[in-house]
Amino acid sequence: MSSAKDTTSFLLKKYHGGHVVIRLALGGATNRPFYRIVAAYNKRARDSKYIEQLGSYDPLPNIHNEKLVAFNYERIKYWIACGAHTTKPVAKLLGLAGFFPLHPMTITEAERRQKAASIEEVTTDNQEQVEQKETL
Amino acid sequence: MLRALSRCHTPVVRLLSPRTAVLIETVRGRKSRTDPKAKSKLGLVKTPPPVDPGEMVVLKERYTEYSLILRALRLEFKEQMLRKKYEEEVGSVAEERAKREAEEHRSLMALNDAENLRMFQNREQRMQKEAEAAELKKREAAILHQQELENYIKEKERQILLLQEEAKDFITPDNLDQRIEEALDNPKNYNFAIDKEGRVVKRTAFQR
Repeated sequence: MSSAKDTTSFLLKKYHGGHVVIRLALGGATNRPFYRIVAAYNKRARDSKYIEQLGSYDPLPNIHNEKLVAFNYERIKYWIACGAHTTKPVAKLLGLAGFFPLHPMTITEAERRQKAASIEEVTTDNQEQVEQKETL
Repeated sequence: MLRALSRCHTPVVRLLSPRTAVLIETVRGRKSRTDPKAKSKLGLVKTPPPVDPGEMVVLKERYTEYSLILRALRLEFKEQMLRKKYEEEVGSVAEERAKREAEEHRSLMALNDAENLRMFQNREQRMQKEAEAAELKKREAAILHQQELENYIKEKERQILLLQEEAKDFITPDNLDQRIEEALDNPKNYNFAIDKEGRVVKRTAFQR
């Protein structure tokens, strides 16, 4: 599989024991982040030279309250076949997109939020009931 | 200023550590190695976030399932890619490509041959025409030369005849005396005048 990685470019630095990672590279401006989903070597800095861009992710919601994500599934498949790792946020996004199975933490966090929301509802109902009794 | 990384990237939840207090000695952020601890944080005992055992069990299950599916996906992608590579290099795709290239080569060769033939014929015709023109030129040149020679000979003959004619009136040592006598006997008068209309006047004022 290393041959497939090495055929990308002969100008790439030779890493000892490094591996390819699919991760988010931060860009944008102050108070306005923007992530590119990128296949890069593990040892490289977060925003420095990458092997290939596989998509993008905009964390701030737009006018219609959507967070836009783009994926190049063909190339992601290729890199995963070559043995690339994915970072947690990339795995979560891919799970939400349907390419991967849903990440366990997505499910658990959703459950936690639901529980917290239900507890809050119960407490507010109780408070309302108590206030009504007091007024009566 | 050193920027030290935290000890591990995996979440604490994953490690299933007991509820003991773990002092994270590495510092991340503004402080360097030699900076002292802040006064407000002197007696601080950091504890990891509390773990719900029920949720933990469920999470463990989910994680095993997730990693299983991911491993299977990875192997499947690998297989697909290998198959595609094989097809391209050895299998049907390569054969089709070879066939197409062979056909292209044949057609190009045919075109080339046709072009060469055409050029050859053109060249042949041109050479023929040039040869004919050269022949014609040569013949004409020969004729001209011949004519020139004849003209020259004729001219020379004419001159010879003229000379022969004139030779009859030459003064030779034999004729010398006779001629002198003739000349003395016949004095010639070369005095004459000519007017603007070209009329010759032989009788001049100086004539006696």
